[in-house]
Amino acid sequence: MAIITGKAWVAKTYVMSFDMIIQKYWTSPIDKEENSKWVMAGVAEEFNKENGFKDCGYTFIVAGHNFAGGGKSIEHCVTGLMGANIKAVFATSFARLQFRNAINYGMPFITSKDMNLECETGDELSYNTDNGEITNLTNGKIFNSVPVAPFVAEVGAAGGLMNFIRAKIADGSIAHLH
Amino acid sequence: MAMTITEKIMAFNSGRESVVPGQLVWVDVHSVMTMDYLGKQCFKAFESLGAKTLFDKERVICVSDHLAPPPSQEYATMLNEWREIVKSYEIPYFYDLGRQGIAHQVMVEQGHVLPGKISIGTDSHANTYGAVGAVGNAIGVTDAAIAMATGKCWFRVPESVKFHITGTWQPWVMAKDLSLHIMGMMHWNGHLIYKALEFTGPAIDALEVAGRMTLCNMTVDLGAKNGIIAPDAKTAAYLKPVQKGNWQMIASDADAHYEAVYEVDVTNLGPTVSKPDKLDDTVPVEELVGTKFNKAFVGTCTNGRTEDFAMMAKILDGKQIHRDVNMICIPASQAVYLECIQKGYFEILVKAGAAIETPSCGPCAGIHTGVAGDGDVVLSAGNRNMKGRMGSKNAQIYLTSPAVVAASAIKGEITDPRSEKW
Repeated sequence: MAIITGKAWVAKTYVMSFDMIIQKYWTSPIDKEENSKWVMAGVAEEFNKENGFKDCGYTFIVAGHNFAGGGKSIEHCVTGLMGANIKAVFATSFARLQFRNAINYGMPFITSKDMNLECETGDELSYNTDNGEITNLTNGKIFNSVPVAPFVAEVGAAGGLMNFIRAKIADGSIAHLH
Repeated sequence: MAMTITEKIMAFNSGRESVVPGQLVWVDVHSVMTMDYLGKQCFKAFESLGAKTLFDKERVICVSDHLAPPPSQEYATMLNEWREIVKSYEIPYFYDLGRQGIAHQVMVEQGHVLPGKISIGTDSHANTYGAVGAVGNAIGVTDAAIAMATGKCWFRVPESVKFHITGTWQPWVMAKDLSLHIMGMMHWNGHLIYKALEFTGPAIDALEVAGRMTLCNMTVDLGAKNGIIAPDAKTAAYLKPVQKGNWQMIASDADAHYEAVYEVDVTNLGPTVSKPDKLDDTVPVEELVGTKFNKAFVGTCTNGRTEDFAMMAKILDGKQIHRDVNMICIPASQAVYLECIQKGYFEILVKAGAAIETPSCGPCAGIHTGVAGDGDVVLSAGNRNMKGRMGSKNAQIYLTSPAVVAASAIKGEITDPRSEKW
């Protein structure tokens, strides 16, 4: 059983992809370390400095609807969070482009309804990756999440879609993808 | 089993007879688009996969649109690296400066997208491809690289939602107004996320491919997976001279299942405007009449087509743009540019006082060619109006149709294009 424990940052409004990675950094190379320096820079003023978000030491993000919305397809949003040591994002719903990117990188974007209404920034959370249960250790509230689909788990276990496909190209099973 | 058009496309392109929403499938991709600022990374990621060759170099489409022509040395260098890698792969369909256009325009107008097939691109407005009955989808560098190697991409089959559009289009009302109206109707509260939005009905049949592209284009901004309109005789006529490959008519079954069906009658639809910062904060133009602005912009993958400039030319013929307004018009591709010159639309716009720029994404992405500065109030026919989208966070962006932009530019304040006989 894997339990991840850490501090959460809780969004009070929509978190948009173009604020997670501001325009200046759209053209940067996709790189966890590099992208983490300025991730979330446009989301809040206190994050708008080098390592502004990363240095806060959050492990989780909790949000409402349409996390990482607004339409950008750049993967920097996900790699930036990974580089900033975020281990999971819990939201009522996710924008599909970044949900897809998160799956491809094996980054847990976990659907859990309305957690943002019952958590505060700085709360300590505990996430049980086996049964999907999230406990707010600060206020004692417990939340359930939508189970991770088998394909998503498989890609996650492979360390992301690139590794998943690399292995299939290497062993010749790529032709059987269906 | 009855299926919607999106379900049929997912089934037929994954070697299945049928699929159901929620099912995960690996589909065969008809074409993969990538562009200047992500393209090099796609090729590098492709190389790291261990595949020996591209799945089909005629179906990997490369475009210079966000950064070209380069506004800075940094971007010039990035474009040079991009050209180098495209050249090294001997990509036959490389739409670089001189032959360029916004990727989504190029993909459709050059026939790289076909009805009943699936095309993907590393830019969010790839939803545009649904205008010709394809499933068009935005993906990241990872998916592009994998598709370049294998010709495949994974999808979760989406639930379908139908928008049945009836009635008669009124003068000066455009597909963009319907897009913005639906945006205001549905909001960003999550219920269209992941969905396939299918547009049907007599008012859709009446739209040309250009208007259908506008409508499907903005489905990504509704949070949807794709937007789609079944191909018809207009689609076939549009594609015939350009199509790269064969295709067959395809449509939803009459008894296909939709998660929801919404009806909109365009007879009552007027010009619509989205207020600054929030795309879903839309109002009829009447509510904003008299609002002053100093910059006007028409272009983008949403509204940079010949039909859009034709509409503007009708309004601006013999008129003058207000001295306090700077207007920039950017055709979505070189083909559009040429057609607008040949048909005289750009002559009318230039005489009226508009600046015409070479095809690119321009200021829509906040990168170049007329970005917004502090205090600017922009009336734009683009697709996004969040803070900072076109440059400064201290600028305001109103989004609307090319007709509203043209009529308003004459007065220097938001104007209902129905208020005068142009």
